Amino acid sequence: MKEGPLLEAVSVAKHYPVKKGIIVSRQVGAVRAVDGVSFTLHRGETLALVGESGCGKSTTARVVMRLIEPTGGDIIFKGQNVTNVAGAKLRALRRHLQIVFQDPYASLNPRLTVADTIAEPMAVHGIGDAASRKARVQELLRLTGLRAFHADRYPHEFSGGQRQRIGIARALAVEPEVMVLDEPVSALDVSIQAQVVNLLGDLQQRLGLSYLFIAHDLAVVKHVADRVAVMYLGRIVEVAGKRELFSNPRHPYTRALLAAIPRPDPSRRGAVTPLGGDLPSPLNIPPGCRFHTRCPVAQAVCREQDPPLREIAPGHTAACHFAEDLPRFDAEADGGIAPVAQRRLAAYAAARERRALAAVPAP
Amino acid sequence: MSATTATPMPVPAVETEAAPPRRPGTLARLVREPVAAVSLVLAVVLIGAALLAPVLSPTDPYDNDLASAMALPGSPGLPLGADAQGRDMVTRTLYGLRLTLAMGLASVLLGGGLGALIGFTAAFYRRLDALLMRLMDVMLSFPAILFGLALAAIFGPGIPAVVLALSVATVPLMARIVRGSALAIMALDYIEAARATGMSDARIILRHVAPNCLSPIFVFATLRFGQVILLGSALSFLGLGAQPPTAELGAMAADGRNFLFFAPHIAIIPSVGIFLVVLVFNLLGDALRDALDPKLRV
Repeated sequence: MKEGPLLEAVSVAKHYPVKKGIIVSRQVGAVRAVDGVSFTLHRGETLALVGESGCGKSTTARVVMRLIEPTGGDIIFKGQNVTNVAGAKLRALRRHLQIVFQDPYASLNPRLTVADTIAEPMAVHGIGDAASRKARVQELLRLTGLRAFHADRYPHEFSGGQRQRIGIARALAVEPEVMVLDEPVSALDVSIQAQVVNLLGDLQQRLGLSYLFIAHDLAVVKHVADRVAVMYLGRIVEVAGKRELFSNPRHPYTRALLAAIPRPDPSRRGAVTPLGGDLPSPLNIPPGCRFHTRCPVAQAVCREQDPPLREIAPGHTAACHFAEDLPRFDAEADGGIAPVAQRRLAAYAAARERRALAAVPAP
Repeated sequence: MSATTATPMPVPAVETEAAPPRRPGTLARLVREPVAAVSLVLAVVLIGAALLAPVLSPTDPYDNDLASAMALPGSPGLPLGADAQGRDMVTRTLYGLRLTLAMGLASVLLGGGLGALIGFTAAFYRRLDALLMRLMDVMLSFPAILFGLALAAIFGPGIPAVVLALSVATVPLMARIVRGSALAIMALDYIEAARATGMSDARIILRHVAPNCLSPIFVFATLRFGQVILLGSALSFLGLGAQPPTAELGAMAADGRNFLFFAPHIAIIPSVGIFLVVLVFNLLGDALRDALDPKLRV
């Protein structure tokens, strides 16, 4: 980390007011979807944001992209506070932050051809003329593994994986520095997932992109991430390097997540105690540590004091009063990732290398 | 290289850049369906006849010849007969068609255009939504006929009053339909992607929201075209629209009702005209919707 962070979120919050009454409405509470999230993203790095449904991962990403206005906190891009920029400055910022969506069936306008879809962001930002944009579309299609004649087709003529490639090409069109990947592979078949994950990896290496990778599939996270941030109920509870997080998690929630990874091993049956209870409502967040209602090691202090996110080892932060006191994590072979999933990703990587050797390098 | 083969290539598993044959365009797909082709031809004929009325018609629509009053169809020189004043029915029907189509089109374009604008605004700027939609509810509570009466009282009966009344009656209907479908489209990811690109609101609406709302707009506009023509005829029938000598299908049908027993053709011919216009444009709108939808392209 030679330079400062590329993108930084400082105690970002998004609260949705809940109102009652039709004529005279008053606020009766707030849904605290994101409640003080801080993280940094460095150039060329992949930061994975994981957590269960409804914990605020996607909202966080959209707030950081300025697609949703934050209720509080600051967003800092390249050392500049961009929390309140508007107009031309916001447009300029948009060029640097792009997003790839989860659902490839909802993320492409069905009435635009692939070429129009990919060229439009360039046109909006006044990049090149019609001819150079056309050439760039071809280049992007090649870069994302699509074919030249695909340019004239409509989205419905493509499979989910191909659509996701189109979505990636559209995001790349304006040469962004940060890409938010909002569960980019969760809607795809397993065989296609590996292709798209590897494509994203290749693109990152080639173009020096930074990824904010939102996911819930920990096998994929293990494959792509450099660092992992675990979110629970609108807040980050643990951040660490990938290896560290998977082998030595210091927050009980992270442990529960890792333990919940399904493993095709009947001898382990009964060895895992699943987390009881439900995610509390973000409308009524428990006092003290927000995880204490489901935490297996909760003590009296957890019900009263909200533990801050603190550094427990270099590059490893956790928000637990007992982070240091937790017993050694029963890390299964390879940090709890099912060997089958590992093999699946490895096999694809091997196939890709074979193909790269066979292919004639593009000029 | 093999792009000339008759069957489209499957999704390429082989390393070749040859594109499969191109798909047919919108018009080609429109005429492929027999019903669509027939309705398209009929629509062209109806519009052509209306536009060319001065050229096609043998006489002036106001030339009366009392000697041939109520002449039945097939009389010498009068293929569709004459009305009670002895005016040539061919001429009157062509001119009537012209006026009726123009009235319907003007009302749907004016009312539909304003309604669509309000609908998109309400969907896109949610702050204005409640205000605009309550306003539409108020407008919706006025029957078109009542509004026509009021306008005729203010401006005097005539075609402008009818067009205005029918437009006003169309605005809230179109606004609601457009708002509903725009809201559904705006929840989709590609709108968020457009925002993330930094597009202007106008561009998002015109390029991403509106084209995907076209199907319901088309269907409603064609349905409404038929309804508006019927309503306009009703207003003319009540004496609020086209005034007596004017050739307008609704007014002509109303005119002929006094002679139903002696000369039924005076009422039947304009009624068949109205029927044809409404039917043809309904079928055409339906076919157009299918042809415009890229998802249905084979």
